[in-house]
Amino acid sequence: MSVIYFIFQQTMLFTIPLMIVALGGMFSERSGVVNIALEGIMIMGAFTGILFLNLTGGSMSGQLQLILAVIISMATGAVFSLTHAYAAINMKADQTISGTALNMFAPAFAIFVARVIQGVQQIQFANTFRIESVPVLGKIPLLGPLLFQNTYITTYLGIAILILSAVVLYKTRFGLRLRACGEHPQAADAAGINVYKMQYLGVLISGALGGLGGLVFVVPTSTNFNADVAGYGFLAIAVLIFGQWKPWKILGASLFFGLMKTVAAAYSGIPFLASLGIPSYFYKMVPYIATMIVLMFTSRNSQAPRASGVPYDKGQR
Amino acid sequence: MKRKMLAALMAAAMTASLTACGGGGSQTSETTAAAGGSETAAAGAETTASQQKTASAPSDGGFELALVTDLGTIDDKSFNQGAWEGLTKYAEENSISYKYYQPQEGTTDSYLETIGLAVEGGAKLVVCPGFLFEEPVYLAQDQYPDVHFILLDGEPHSGDYAEYRTNDNVMPILFKEDEAGFLAGYACVKDGYTKLGFMGGMAVPAVIRFGYGFIEGAEAAAAEMGISGLEVMYTYTGAFAATPEAQSMAASWYQNGTEVVFGCGGAVGNSVMAAAQEKGTKVVGVDVDQSFESETVITSAMKQLSNSVYSGIEDFYNGTFPGGSTSVFTVDNAGVGLPMETSKFNTFTQDDYDAIYKKLVAGEFELVQPSADNIDPTVDLTVSATTINYVE
Repeated sequence: MSVIYFIFQQTMLFTIPLMIVALGGMFSERSGVVNIALEGIMIMGAFTGILFLNLTGGSMSGQLQLILAVIISMATGAVFSLTHAYAAINMKADQTISGTALNMFAPAFAIFVARVIQGVQQIQFANTFRIESVPVLGKIPLLGPLLFQNTYITTYLGIAILILSAVVLYKTRFGLRLRACGEHPQAADAAGINVYKMQYLGVLISGALGGLGGLVFVVPTSTNFNADVAGYGFLAIAVLIFGQWKPWKILGASLFFGLMKTVAAAYSGIPFLASLGIPSYFYKMVPYIATMIVLMFTSRNSQAPRASGVPYDKGQR
Repeated sequence: MKRKMLAALMAAAMTASLTACGGGGSQTSETTAAAGGSETAAAGAETTASQQKTASAPSDGGFELALVTDLGTIDDKSFNQGAWEGLTKYAEENSISYKYYQPQEGTTDSYLETIGLAVEGGAKLVVCPGFLFEEPVYLAQDQYPDVHFILLDGEPHSGDYAEYRTNDNVMPILFKEDEAGFLAGYACVKDGYTKLGFMGGMAVPAVIRFGYGFIEGAEAAAAEMGISGLEVMYTYTGAFAATPEAQSMAASWYQNGTEVVFGCGGAVGNSVMAAAQEKGTKVVGVDVDQSFESETVITSAMKQLSNSVYSGIEDFYNGTFPGGSTSVFTVDNAGVGLPMETSKFNTFTQDDYDAIYKKLVAGEFELVQPSADNIDPTVDLTVSATTINYVE
């Protein structure tokens, strides 16, 4: 049983950041702006968040510190994504190019600033945020060890963001307008919606969630931050596509990716998986093969926002 | 549109992996800044750490001692930094001017050009850390016969490996990583751990030697103590980066009973430490004393990078530059070892360490070298007390 708990807990370490970042990407694309800069935004968010953890280590309680870091990361991501929004929305630049530019800029910036501030590029932090067991809830049989032991406060934050995203997107006026801008901005404009504002908001939300995702990604998996999130921003875009731009499907996709990643990485330490004798390459391939298959079968009636990636031009009909 | 986006996605992913490969390939287990390396070129290119001019230096306005960095940066916490520390230590003590140069990219041409820059800047001795310098130094030794070179972790050879030649002005330095690994493995088992793990970065020769030595050390300790049933989990992650994959794998090993994991691949070690913090287990560090990075680090398999560079420079100024042949740093000349002052062993004492160290110096153990084109320890090593679980 403990093995299952272990796998589940590890899966969460992959799933939550992927899901948060993919949800961020969803908001941006649903508003009609492709945000390929998620990788760079993750790096920026992780950078300022971790830098904050490094500078304030020991001066306050762990959870408070983490929550403040979360806010800082989200703010950084949002501000950083503004550059993408400006290029893509105001200047009508090619959105892949401006996103790629941010991806290339972010690690260089993080390294440069880290070195200016503290001399070395790796930013150390002490992980005092792990929750051994949530009071009371952690003692529930079965569910306790699954959901409330060996966890991080950010896990629940991620779940809250998921629920909030689903509600905002489908149950609010803002969500409806956002989706309209991603499908047919001219029509939305004709209906009196400020398309530019909606797209700015979409990109800003994706920036905030991307920055948060970067922090959530780094905290449990290392003891320092080295201007790198190992390509998880791109993976999140794959999750977004696999999840067909829909919040609950994104949850499913990131759980699937997370589980496969966990199994691929951890099978050697899990007796019954190790005895199966399936090479790790297999597990590593599965999520990507699955993505390809899903793409093949859904490409005809794909749920991708129709206007995603097309700069909005008022004069066009 | 979607097609366009996917194409861009793939292009970006490919770029990312290329950078990772470039960085990783640059050096052995030492590269911490796998992906970050190249981006920093602009940032740190012309940083001059210290520019003191002195009476003792027959200064004509240049920097006598120079270091050309490998793909990593000068503060990579291992390879470049170790070499740089050795250089600065000697230079500070003897008031000699020094400077480092960072190539724009990791190519032979770029390295050679940067070496040229250093020579132009007045360098009499150029330190080149990393096996990527094998070819540039091979070319530079003829081009600049009056300049001396120290080459770490490699021997000069021509681009097609047809000719290995070391001129009198070049001092190649190699390390016996297997001896450092041996000491670490031995100490762990002697200290009561029986379930070990080895998590290497890319399977480059230095990493493989560390891993083989680690197993052989554990085996030797088991034989001495008359125990059997040791278990070693063994893998190469294929990169020098901290990833959730590495963390997960280490955590799963710990979950399954592994007590101490040798994190042997730059930032991979940081993922191992993160997992160990979670599980309350132990880590063995690599290259430099990593006990400051995490409480979980019980000891580190060290290569005395700075000492080797220091002694090379010292010889140069004493007129006894050991050029022309390769210097190998081993237990014999205190080139590898464990930092016993900062180690956190329970029962393994300094005396125990000295005893095994002496035996290693005396050549009582014959360490197996990796055979060509093989990275799997179960192929090369014959073990009796240990079960090796090689994870591909």
